[in-house]
Amino acid sequence: MARKDKLTLAQKEQRTAYKLLLPALLILAAVAFYPLFQVFYTSLTDKVFASGTDEAPKFIGIENYKSLLGLTIQELPPIVDETTGDPLIDESTGMTMYERAIRVLPRSPVRYREWFQFSFFGRRYVVGARDPEFMKAIWNTLVFTVISVFLETILGLGVALVVNSNFKGKGIMRATMLVPWAVITVVSARIWEWMLQPTRAGLFNMVLSRLGLGDGGLSFLSMPTLQMPTLIAVDVWKTTPFMALLILAGLQLIPKELYEAGRVDGANRLRQFFAITMPLLKPTLAVALIFRTLDALRVFDVFQVLMGNRMYSMASYNYYQLIGNRNMGLASAVGVIIFFIIGIFAVLYMRLMGVDKE
Amino acid sequence: MKKNRSLWVLGKIAFWILIIFIFFYMLFPFYWAVNSSLKSEAQLQMTPATLLPVDRDGKFSPTLQNYVAIFNDGTFVRALWNSTIVAGLTTLLALGVGSFAAYAMGKLRFKGKRLTLYLILSLTMFPQITVLSGLYAVITTLNLGARLSLILSYMIFTLPFTTWVLTAFFKELPTEIMQSAWVDGATPFQTFYMILLPLTAPALVTAGLLAFIAAWNEYIFALTFTTIAPEARTIPVAISLFTGSVSRQVPFGEIMAGAVVVTVPVVALVFIFQRRIVQGLTAGAVKG
Repeated sequence: MARKDKLTLAQKEQRTAYKLLLPALLILAAVAFYPLFQVFYTSLTDKVFASGTDEAPKFIGIENYKSLLGLTIQELPPIVDETTGDPLIDESTGMTMYERAIRVLPRSPVRYREWFQFSFFGRRYVVGARDPEFMKAIWNTLVFTVISVFLETILGLGVALVVNSNFKGKGIMRATMLVPWAVITVVSARIWEWMLQPTRAGLFNMVLSRLGLGDGGLSFLSMPTLQMPTLIAVDVWKTTPFMALLILAGLQLIPKELYEAGRVDGANRLRQFFAITMPLLKPTLAVALIFRTLDALRVFDVFQVLMGNRMYSMASYNYYQLIGNRNMGLASAVGVIIFFIIGIFAVLYMRLMGVDKE
Repeated sequence: MKKNRSLWVLGKIAFWILIIFIFFYMLFPFYWAVNSSLKSEAQLQMTPATLLPVDRDGKFSPTLQNYVAIFNDGTFVRALWNSTIVAGLTTLLALGVGSFAAYAMGKLRFKGKRLTLYLILSLTMFPQITVLSGLYAVITTLNLGARLSLILSYMIFTLPFTTWVLTAFFKELPTEIMQSAWVDGATPFQTFYMILLPLTAPALVTAGLLAFIAAWNEYIFALTFTTIAPEARTIPVAISLFTGSVSRQVPFGEIMAGAVVVTVPVVALVFIFQRRIVQGLTAGAVKG
């Protein structure tokens, strides 16, 4: 007690600060830092969740990473006609026929499965992956992220510009914009699932058949060519408002005088947009883009609800490995890979946009 | 002059068409959910689908049977209760702990402040999904029960955010208020909860609402951590797994009714606190 009295006011303040920070730091240590460390460590083991056996997980080094990321490229030889020695031509398509990928890809010591094929300088190659599902999950996530963030930014900018101008009912419009944002993502996915039903009981098939397009039986969620556009459309509906709100806030920071000055100087609307709005909106756009991109890269809800096991995002593949396969070691490695992919995006963005200079 | 006038009118018309289009785009899916939730099973299966709950002969006849069904079905009510508890307590905990930390960071001087600030800021961008398996291991070890585990794990995205928003707010409060309280003999802690906390009420509402909505929305942790505890499932999990009690097909009428029930309160909250929410969202992003 006597010692405490000797503490200066500054020391007291510091002590209070540490006491106040302690609960937050303890909680964050338990839910963020320790699990992160755990994920890095477990990703180097063959830990299986609730395996029933009490066998301690073995340390297996980077084996999990190898089995997730292992790739190989093999040339596919053309099938040669035994008698003439010429390559066989498929009569219906007129294309050279190649050996089947499965016969070319290595099978031991580990098996590679086909990911995709491509032609290069008249030769045919196959890319094999040890885990093509995961490769596709990464690819899907990247495609999803790039296209949906691009569309959301363009649409969000458009909506923000419209709502930023003066008209009757501006308040109602701004409130309306918050509705998709307030709908739970899973709920929005199920609403869209219902609208996308593959019969004319679904809204889209009903409208399309009314317009004379399609037979009213388009299966948006199971046709491979429609899956990705559908997922993107659902996400764009849900997140465009968020983008629009952020951009709107940025627009309102631009001083009105600049536009007046522009008008006096004879700049038309278009000119004003490119000379005033866009440059001044750049910091806002940069931050909004970072937020949305990092968010889109960890997309889970729409993929899980609409696609289940038909198609994975990185996050839903992680969930599948953890809960479906109970493979904790591998799931942790997936987590670490996601961490680095998202990290690369974050750093790239900050460099490109110069956000870190501020 | 006349040409300019007609151009102006054309522009005006185009503008309003755009507004109406945006309005419909944003609201239509939700309208479709309301419409479908008021249809009977037979009306739902009618082709082509109708824009209003009508019978085959075109008579307008909405029904509340889907709502009755979900409220009689224990799963939905329990999920509603779980979500309320989990999101509510998450909000309270994040606000309580977050405002302590924010007070320290916004108003007090101590060594390591810069580091703490960066730590919290980096956590607001932290990809929570990476720790899914690690967090699963932590909560199975702690064995707190699914609901408490969810509340704890939701701290990972609510706590950094509330701390960040509140810190910015504390910083803006005049230091003189605090100093005069100290002169009057109040301890730093008394200053905090008797003087500063009441002043931050608006920021608490903003941060709290956003934390609540984030927790109300959360799906991947909820789905993962309630795998073996179905009784603790929250709304998103229940709605994603909804199979209904009797129906053989996916009971979309009931799902849509559930969708409406869980969306209306949030939309109402959002409308009431519209201004605050926009401020909070943009404070977290534009300035951060």
